Amino acid sequence: MLSKAFVLDRAVVNCAGFLLAFYAALLSPVRADPRYPDWPCMQPKVPELSAAAMWSGPSIADVGNSWQDDSKVRELVEMIAARRTPLDSAQKAIADFMTGSPAEKERKAKLVFAGVFDTLGDQRREVMEGLERVSRKETDLAEKIKSDVANLRELQDKPDADQSEVKNLASEIEWSTRVFEDRRKTIRYVCEVPSTIEQRVFALARSIQQNLP
Amino acid sequence: MPLRFLLGIGLAMLFANSAEAFTAYVSNEKSNTVSKIDTDSWKVTKTIKVGQRPRGIAYTKDQKYVLVACGDDDTIQLIDTQTDAVAGSLPSGPDPEFFTAGPDGKLLYVANENDNTVTIIDIQRRALIGAVQVGVEPEGMVMSPDGKILINTSETTNMAHFIDPVKREVVASVLVDQRPRFAAFTPDGTELWVSAEVGGTVSVVDPVKHVVEHRIEFAIPGMRSDAIQPVGININRDGKLAFVALGPANHVAVIDIKTHKVLKYLLVGQRVWHMEFTPDEKYLLTTNGLSNDVSVIDVAGLKVVNTVQVGELPWGVTISDH
Repeated sequence: MLSKAFVLDRAVVNCAGFLLAFYAALLSPVRADPRYPDWPCMQPKVPELSAAAMWSGPSIADVGNSWQDDSKVRELVEMIAARRTPLDSAQKAIADFMTGSPAEKERKAKLVFAGVFDTLGDQRREVMEGLERVSRKETDLAEKIKSDVANLRELQDKPDADQSEVKNLASEIEWSTRVFEDRRKTIRYVCEVPSTIEQRVFALARSIQQNLP
Repeated sequence: MPLRFLLGIGLAMLFANSAEAFTAYVSNEKSNTVSKIDTDSWKVTKTIKVGQRPRGIAYTKDQKYVLVACGDDDTIQLIDTQTDAVAGSLPSGPDPEFFTAGPDGKLLYVANENDNTVTIIDIQRRALIGAVQVGVEPEGMVMSPDGKILINTSETTNMAHFIDPVKREVVASVLVDQRPRFAAFTPDGTELWVSAEVGGTVSVVDPVKHVVEHRIEFAIPGMRSDAIQPVGININRDGKLAFVALGPANHVAVIDIKTHKVLKYLLVGQRVWHMEFTPDEKYLLTTNGLSNDVSVIDVAGLKVVNTVQVGELPWGVTISDH
């Protein structure tokens, strides 16, 4: 008659094995991009935003950080870049700011777009770096679980195994598996964020351009 | 001046100035809806709830239905164009994504993404009548203008398969660039254009010799080349211009078919995917998956003239023929 503890330990081992197989499937060659081995998302990695992909207004190549020297531009960028600001409020703020002669509007448009592009580009980069950092931790944790499962199997096969050692290792595996699964769900959610940021930059860029003569 | 004469002039002017209103239906992959757009007012007049993960969408030849491939439901739904309600479904095989009809509109050829098959459906009988084994992850489907050859692209195998629709077998396969998505014939049938999303090119294939004759590359100043990912292709009726949707590059490339040179890039919405002309080819509508909208391109002027907000992750668009 198998002891309850033995049955539960076997259940833990089987569950951990299943999760590892599932995670391995997520990283299958069909979806993985060899250029970015730590990128955990289904969405292809686009490392940097491209101004050319969202802006057909006057070139911002000569702006650099100069948008930060204009306090009104800086304040506007902070307000419209913030994801808590509803988009229609941001669009109204842009329209209210884009006043003056055609040359003045063009000057303002360049500075505001450059500010939005830099600010949200930096945020997006931080999120992506965070995702890859967590992905590496997941890989390390997967290896640890795999190793612990192998050790537990070996222990369980010994007739004179120290039961407290078996129990401790089973608990360790159960805990690691839970952390692995929770982190996996978080990764999936956070993978949406770079696209969300990109959407916002595009929408703001469009709004700025619509106010150009 | 006689009143009847003035009335006649007035009526003539009214008809001369009024735009012809067509109806466009757009599949929204994430919100599981179809948006109906009036192409005169450029407004969404209805949002229709459909099955899960709607992608491929097209009017039937008789215009009675709009077919929508609902990938996660493993079915193709029929929207009745009079009532705008889902009126039934076709058995499509697993995970249908894209489809095309035979020349007489009776048979439908469906790419089943997860099954590596092209499934054949009798639309009237609503029955599966055959299947053809193709490469991994089939997607693009197009019938040649003479109705004699069916093309299917397979994303992972990087092939364009030539299928005899009568014998229902692959008769030739051409290796194209990485991750082919869509295929389109020139109206005279002498060229087959195949977009490669990861390869970043459009291959121009001789459909008789089964060889790639040209490769069209794209370059937008200031843009990383890996952001340029060609997907949908639309060629106008006179065979002079091709329009290629460039995915996350957010641009549509306009290409001279004779020279295969890019004439212009048009900034549309984010992640531009598929497109469709209005029947008069006055406008080209593009679906923009990330900005959740449809861009309206004035074809004669080659400029974007309008944007229509639709549902989440718009994928395909079909437009009535009247």
